[in-house]
Amino acid sequence: MYAYDKFDHKLVEARVAEFRDQVERRVKGELTEEEFRPLRLMNGLYLQLHAYMLRVAVPYGTLSANQVRKLAHIARKYDKGYGHFTTRQNIQYNWPKLSETPDILTELAEVEMHAIQTSGNCIRNVTTDQFAGAAADEVADPRPYAELLRQWSTFHPEFSFLPRKFKIAITGAPTDRAAVKWHDIGLILKKNDKGEVGFEVLVGGGMGRTPVIGKTIRDFLPEADLLSYMEAILRVYNEQGRRDNKYKARIKILVEALGAEEYARQTEAEWERIKDIPIDVPAEEIARIRAFFAPPPLPVLPDEVDGVTSLAKNNFIFASWVKNNTHPHKVPGHVAITISLKPHGGIPGDATAEQMELVASLADEYSQSEIRVSHEQNLILPHVAKKDLPALWTDLDEAGLGTANVGLLTDIIACPGLDYCALANARSIPIAQNITNRFDDMKRIQNIGPLKIKISGCINACGHHHAGHIGILGVDKKGEESYQLLLGGSGAEDASKATILGPGFDEFGIVDALETVVAVYLGEREEGETFLETYRRTGPQIFKEAVYGAA
Amino acid sequence: MAKKITGPQMIIANRLDDGRAVFFTRNGGWSPETDEAAYADDDGIEALLAEATKSADKNIVLSVEAIGAVLNGDKAYPAHIKHAMQAKGPSVRADLGYQVSLDWEAN
Repeated sequence: MYAYDKFDHKLVEARVAEFRDQVERRVKGELTEEEFRPLRLMNGLYLQLHAYMLRVAVPYGTLSANQVRKLAHIARKYDKGYGHFTTRQNIQYNWPKLSETPDILTELAEVEMHAIQTSGNCIRNVTTDQFAGAAADEVADPRPYAELLRQWSTFHPEFSFLPRKFKIAITGAPTDRAAVKWHDIGLILKKNDKGEVGFEVLVGGGMGRTPVIGKTIRDFLPEADLLSYMEAILRVYNEQGRRDNKYKARIKILVEALGAEEYARQTEAEWERIKDIPIDVPAEEIARIRAFFAPPPLPVLPDEVDGVTSLAKNNFIFASWVKNNTHPHKVPGHVAITISLKPHGGIPGDATAEQMELVASLADEYSQSEIRVSHEQNLILPHVAKKDLPALWTDLDEAGLGTANVGLLTDIIACPGLDYCALANARSIPIAQNITNRFDDMKRIQNIGPLKIKISGCINACGHHHAGHIGILGVDKKGEESYQLLLGGSGAEDASKATILGPGFDEFGIVDALETVVAVYLGEREEGETFLETYRRTGPQIFKEAVYGAA
Repeated sequence: MAKKITGPQMIIANRLDDGRAVFFTRNGGWSPETDEAAYADDDGIEALLAEATKSADKNIVLSVEAIGAVLNGDKAYPAHIKHAMQAKGPSVRADLGYQVSLDWEAN
């Protein structure tokens, strides 16, 4: 993992001290809310429906065991004993007091964490593949580049007041687990014919009220040119992005307006102008950062383990967990495991302080003290020996963390929705709970197979409903919650935009409609076909007729 | 742009230190409970809002807003589910929110 140098420490400590002073002045009445609001937002502090919410950055979703223990401590000491992991790979606390937030930030700084750039019209936390550095299918570890981007973008003076927020995602594997095509900038690591590492560069992806899939503007950018090229993309956006209308201010709108070819042309022209001034870091600096992410020294072990095979024969849930929650690792005899934060009937992404502490201990014992957060709101132990799976699962299961549903119907993304969020129009979490209660049978969901359900409580789409195989969007219909059903989206390398099937439902009707959609799929699917494949083959009509009746 | 509210209205805000939703009361204070909440119709709401906003100026509360209300006898309750949620706490953590003492289903 990356370790702060003296500059990083100084930077974060100075920011905490500055915010402590700002909070004190606000409490004394020396700052009005109008003056204070932009200052608190620059430090990740929002005001939600019931309380303040503090959004803490988890750079590229990577955490150490000690950091997770600190997150647990903060949840217990300053909050109500739990935290919420988000689709941005961050963690949010739902109940901090204003006067205590400087203390929280002080404690975070002790473990090299902060809440900088988790809000505001700046470059936000860079996100990536949760299996980075572990995945068997990886071309290169994306984290050194994500860290380079973090350092470059932190307090970048030119890009601190962009037309709108800006999100960069990067994947090091051809299988896209980071939804890069749905980001303002998406980066796909690849190797060229000479075996050199570089990036395919996409711009203009985004969800929200105008869902757009990003477009490739460069097939191969050498790794040495990453920062200058990012600077060129951002400059074109910063100059021409709309500032007159916040709903049309994201880069996707500019890319649509100019066309991707023109956006590429302007980026290349700007890049030609600036690429020879020293923006890019020397190769030694990339090598220095890369050294922090050196693969752990894992021994090569047998892939077949008797203890796993025998327990799987006798325990269906364990067998399902091994099948669904483990992911191929670079080193034989190892896997990355996903700890589902989606217990049936539970709140997607929530973890208690006790659960976080257990995960930290298990990471120390079984996974090189490393933990990841996925954009699908789960936690990952990236380096686990297969022989340890029975003991690990037993410990997780006892703590309510052994749900074997990763990638299946009940592994639902849900935004906080109207239960917490000031922007929401409808609740999201209860819909997820109703669905997981309805489909509370592992054999049934296993038979249904890979299926990604994503729920948002408003059109801002924090729950990624546009990218759901099945998406659900909560809206306000004359003061009542109403839920639209969308089908056919994908956040993966085959990215697609889900389309609305028809009129909305109430909170119970939406679950019935979803069950009908699943039944149509089961009736229509051909051998080995996933839900998304069936939908793409048949189109929406048969689903529409089943849900709404024949026209 | 928010739609203009008509009919009975009440005043909601968030407390400065903990952010908790509170309602402007008939005796000029702020309470998380709706029992004492002041309310007014279209003609009186501006005066009520002005009075409530004075408290915000003293840094007791922030985000002062008039919201639609439903009346039951002489008591006002938030009309929209969003504000009802603010009065009661999140529906999914009835074990932890400030709504512990309230019966979510009954309201």
